Parts: sequence; structure tokens; C-alpha cells
Amino acid sequence: MRETSLSLPAINDEAMIATEPEIPQAIDVLCSDSIATPGEILGDSSQFIAGKGSYLAPNGRNIHASITGHRRVLPPPADSTEKRSTVEVVGHKSRGAVPEPGVVVIARVTRVMARMVSADIMCVESKAVKEKFTGIIRQQDVRATEIDKVDMYQSFQPGDVVKAVVLSLGDARAYYLSTAKNELGVVSAQSMAGATMVPISWTEMQCPSTGQIEKRKVAKVLQTFFHFRI
Amino acid sequence: MRNDKSLLRTNEKDIKAERAPEISEMATGTSGTYSPSQCLERKQQEQKRKTFQEVDWARSDGRNFHQCRPAFLRTGAASVASGSAYAEFGSTKVIVSVFGPRESKKAMMYSDVGRLNCHVSYTTFSTPIRGQGSDNKEYSSLLHKALEGAIRLKTFPKTTVDIFALVLESGGGDLPVIISCASLAIADAGIMMYDLVSAVSLSCIGKKLVIDPTSEEEAWQDGSLMITYMPSRNEVTQFTLTGEWSTPKINEAMELCLDACSKLADILRLCLKENALELAP
Repeated sequence: MRETSLSLPAINDEAMIATEPEIPQAIDVLCSDSIATPGEILGDSSQFIAGKGSYLAPNGRNIHASITGHRRVLPPPADSTEKRSTVEVVGHKSRGAVPEPGVVVIARVTRVMARMVSADIMCVESKAVKEKFTGIIRQQDVRATEIDKVDMYQSFQPGDVVKAVVLSLGDARAYYLSTAKNELGVVSAQSMAGATMVPISWTEMQCPSTGQIEKRKVAKVLQTFFHFRI
Repeated sequence: MRNDKSLLRTNEKDIKAERAPEISEMATGTSGTYSPSQCLERKQQEQKRKTFQEVDWARSDGRNFHQCRPAFLRTGAASVASGSAYAEFGSTKVIVSVFGPRESKKAMMYSDVGRLNCHVSYTTFSTPIRGQGSDNKEYSSLLHKALEGAIRLKTFPKTTVDIFALVLESGGGDLPVIISCASLAIADAGIMMYDLVSAVSLSCIGKKLVIDPTSEEEAWQDGSLMITYMPSRNEVTQFTLTGEWSTPKINEAMELCLDACSKLADILRLCLKENALELAP
């Protein structure tokens, strides 16, 4: 796991204590006893809630693990009336990424048509998929304003790398994607001359070698931490 | 005693009838490589029949009747697959690879739950006589039925999980080994399950109940029982019974099998934990 971060401010003990965020500390017991395998009982339903990677048995009494991984107990959130901690299993080898409604994906445009665009989903939330999934961006999902006046050919071109959010599972053939937010849209595109274009506004990108301006629905990429997980 | 003998004799005839076409096939040379032991075949069969008729006969590998073969299990055998496992039970060797969840084929209809696609194949060198292994056409659907009760299909809607089992050497009790190895591979792939699935088969030879039979013992069996069991939930996902059984015999056989399944599941868990520790950063 590689992490690139912005430069840290000068370390000052008092300042760090003052600005420490209030997050629930996860109690992570890393010994050989706490590796759970599918079916193992993690706890009782009177003391715990089933979190990720676990489920409640049909008799309503035990919580069993669903995958192989480390057992973790999270304390209950401070603002709710729930007194029970959450027990979850954190997979040591997480399964292949699958698009789910609400997650941000990176896709590459394959076909542009009058009312929709076909794209191959390559990454799901910074995790690359082993085999691609097919997604569709419909005309009404390209942007939030004036959705009936969208020209697909001036929003996307084949080969563009697009950041989108999964709207729903869609139909048998493809997932439904949407780029109707400022931070979604074309992230990287190649000009007709073959060079990688530079965004100049939210509708235009310019080729650095020829100076030609091409129209795209450009994503506004904010400064963030980039986590690379292979 | 007389009844027992007559019972045995009728069974011998059945077994003879089963064997006869195979020998004629070999004589005409349709199946492939020539086996040099053809002429000794009949004499060996006579000897075998006598051994199984005796009241107390010893198993060829020195186990007692209620003892299973030692198991060797490993996960992560095939790196290209999402999850994989290799199992060796005596001389039965099986490798299972799991791909998925991945996109279903375009031709398939939309489904709210995930789909499971199982395929069992035998290598050409897996049986003593080179060529297709017997009964492997229905093994794929039997594997599917055994596993679909244990996998949480709702956690991967619209996608498919492909399970491919390859039998490298068929030494008897193939299907239970395939099922146990497949559940290990699925757990290795990180696909959500209700519980690990372990399977054990049992043969009835004469009056004896023989657990985890080898291919030689399977060939002389009068009936067989296979149970696929989820121990933590105390649920049976598949129950296969062939031959003639009386009710008390079935009860006794079931108890033996369920006990063996629980112990096998413990071994499967141990294998998963060991491999998890190896991978831990």
C-alpha cells in the first residue's frame, strides 16, 4: 500500500492533541485467535450488532462470520441510542470489487450514441476490477442542469476516462452511471492529434501541442489524498 | 447366513454385469491405451470378491472402517483465479478455482441474486484407464446443489461466480473431496458464505459401513451415502443415497458421516487460518 500525502505541519504536541479528531477508536486484536472463518460465531446478538462480513443467524441469537479475516469490534456511535457494539470481519484478502449503487467508479468510454454513452468500468472506488463491467450514461444523467439540451458528442468521446457514480444496477446488460455533479465527468482525454488534453473550463479541454479546443463535460478534480491499493 | 450368501451372490451378478461391457470394450480396443494386466483381470476379481465376503477384512491402506483418509489442503493454488484450493485425500487429488463475482453473459436475464456456475472436469490421466472419467456429467449439477445453500447470493446481485473443479487423480470418493475443496476455494476468494461446507461419503459393503471409500471399495459397494454439511449452523445442504438401506442402518450411517463432516470442517478452518496468517502484512 503506497500513500502519498501533502506535507505535514511542524509537529507540536500540544497542537496535535488539540486538533485530534473525534473518531471512535477501533479495537483491533491482532493475534491468531481472532482470525474468523465463515460460519464461526463472533458473538451474541444481545451484545453485538452484525457489521460488514458477518450476519445474524436465523434464530436471532448468534452472529456468524461470512468471510475469512480479522475480527474487529467497533464501539457504538455516540449519538445514537444503540448500546451494542458492532462486530465485523475485515477481510485479509478482499474479494474482487463489484459496482454497487452509490459508489464512485472510473470508466472508459467505448461508444457514444445520440442518447447515451457506453463505458467499461475499470475501477471501483480506487480498487481495480479483474474483469470489466459495462456501464451506461444516459442523456439525462450527464449533468444536473438543462438535461434535455445535452449533446452527447460534445460531452464525451470514445477513449475518454470518466469519473462517474453508480446510480443503480440497471438492466441485464449494463449498470446505470451518472456524471451529474461538478466533480464527475471526463478526467482524462486525448485530443485528435493524440496528446493528453488540459482542462480549461467545465465544458472545454485544450490540446497542448496544437492549441485546439474540444468540448467535453469536464470533472472538477479537487486536491485529495491518493491511496493506491493494488 | 444363507440369506446373506444369496444376497451377496445376486450382488456379484450385478457387479459382473457392470464389469462385462468394460472388458469387451478393452478387448476391441476402443478406449485407448492397452492395459497389460487384462489377462490377470479375472483372477484378481475372484480374489477381491473373496476378500469382501469375509467377515473381517482389512482395508488396503490400513485404516479401520470408521477412519477417513488423511487430508492435505492448500489455498491459493492458482494465482490467476480470485480464489483457489488444492486438496489431496489419499490418492484423490483435486484443484478448484473460483472466478468472480464477474459480469454475467449478455444473453442471461437480469437477476436480483448472484448466479453460481459450476463445472467439474476430469483430466485424461486421472483414472487408471486413460479416457473420460465416469459420472462426471452429473457432478457439475451435484456440486451446484451442494454449494448454493451455503453461499450468500444476495451479496452479489447481477453477477456470476464461476467455479471450475479439475480432478487430477481419481482415487475414490471424488465428489465429497470436490465439494470440500470448492468451499475452501470460495472462502479463499472472499465471497460471502453462511458457513464452510464439508462433505463425506460412506459405502455399505455387505454388512459393513465403510467411511471414505477408495475407488476399489466403491466398485464393490452395495450402497452409498453422501452428506454435505454446514457444521456451525447444523444444516445439511445435500443428501445422496444409493442402493438398498434399512432405516436403522441409515441412522447409523448418518451419525458416522455427520461426525466425520464436523471434524473435516475443523481441518478446513485450520487450513484457512494458517493461510490467512501467512498473508497477513
